[in-house]
Amino acid sequence: MNLKLTSALAAGAFVLLGGVAQAAAEKVTVTGEVIDTWCYYSGVMGWYDTVVGSAHHTCAMWCAAGGIPVGILADDGTVYMVMKWEGDPNIADGTAMLDVQSHRVTAEGMLHKVDDINYLMVSEVTSNEGITNLSHEDFGIVPGFAFPDPNKQ
Amino acid sequence: MNRIMIAAVAALIAAPAAAQDFSEGSEAKNWNLAHGESKARFEAKVTDAVCALTGDCPEDCGAGLRQMVLQRVADGKTLLVFKNIQPIFSGGSYDLAAYCGQTVVVDGLIVGDPEVTKGAEIMQVQTVTVAGETAKTNQFTKAWEARTAEPTGEKGPWFRRDPLIQERLDTTGYFGLGKEEDAKYAEENF
Repeated sequence: MNLKLTSALAAGAFVLLGGVAQAAAEKVTVTGEVIDTWCYYSGVMGWYDTVVGSAHHTCAMWCAAGGIPVGILADDGTVYMVMKWEGDPNIADGTAMLDVQSHRVTAEGMLHKVDDINYLMVSEVTSNEGITNLSHEDFGIVPGFAFPDPNKQ
Repeated sequence: MNRIMIAAVAALIAAPAAAQDFSEGSEAKNWNLAHGESKARFEAKVTDAVCALTGDCPEDCGAGLRQMVLQRVADGKTLLVFKNIQPIFSGGSYDLAAYCGQTVVVDGLIVGDPEVTKGAEIMQVQTVTVAGETAKTNQFTKAWEARTAEPTGEKGPWFRRDPLIQERLDTTGYFGLGKEEDAKYAEENF
């Protein structure tokens, strides 16, 4: 058995045996929409295309401020879970990413893929196109109660 | 030696391929989520994601500011915590950070359609048990109150009274596209 294969298998065994999963990272550039991952994966507020874009912007801010992991949904459907934003790991109170919810961004950073989750440590946001997915034109506001009835305020 | 090692490692790699059922003993409540859910109760070490991935490990796991992961004892799999038990748009970072570095028993739901999650286990943690004491993961509201000196209004859920969110709604609106888009929507729908 060659040295590389032995090392790879040993590393796999280490992870499988309960070691800290410090996976090898690779530098990547990701372009996609900043999304609320809980609503996207769970379906709690609606189908996939209703919980992205402008329709879901307010809920996405709520979830980000609530500490639900924020993701970047790439054009090929891959979801990258953001664990650092512009180098900062203290992101779970959502304040660091409130202003980019539902925006289409390009981000550079280190990708750690562990147990089928893509953990992305964003070092720099190189472009921000703003909200380009105008999903409210098809779905209104999602969830409906996010937009208070102005006649009842 | 090499043959034994190859066989052992191959067995370890093959084992997780068959999806394990961690529902035994679970007392988690169903949420009837559209994309699927299954109960899961298991022993896991609690740490923050940046620590697990990079070795940068503060003693308090970021005290609620870092996203949290669970390193499951049974198979070594790392799961990201997405949600706590509160139905109020809240994650689990404050709840889990309280157990930083400890091995606990978590109970909750694995969520999502496997074709979309692509193998990732999306975890909602409902309770944490350590040394026989079980706690619900309901600490977000208290943490929010502690960090929010001046909520906007006295009544209503936190997300209606969060000043940072309200500031953005006041400027860019509910769709993030400006107040004119809000006015147009209100005129057409109310």
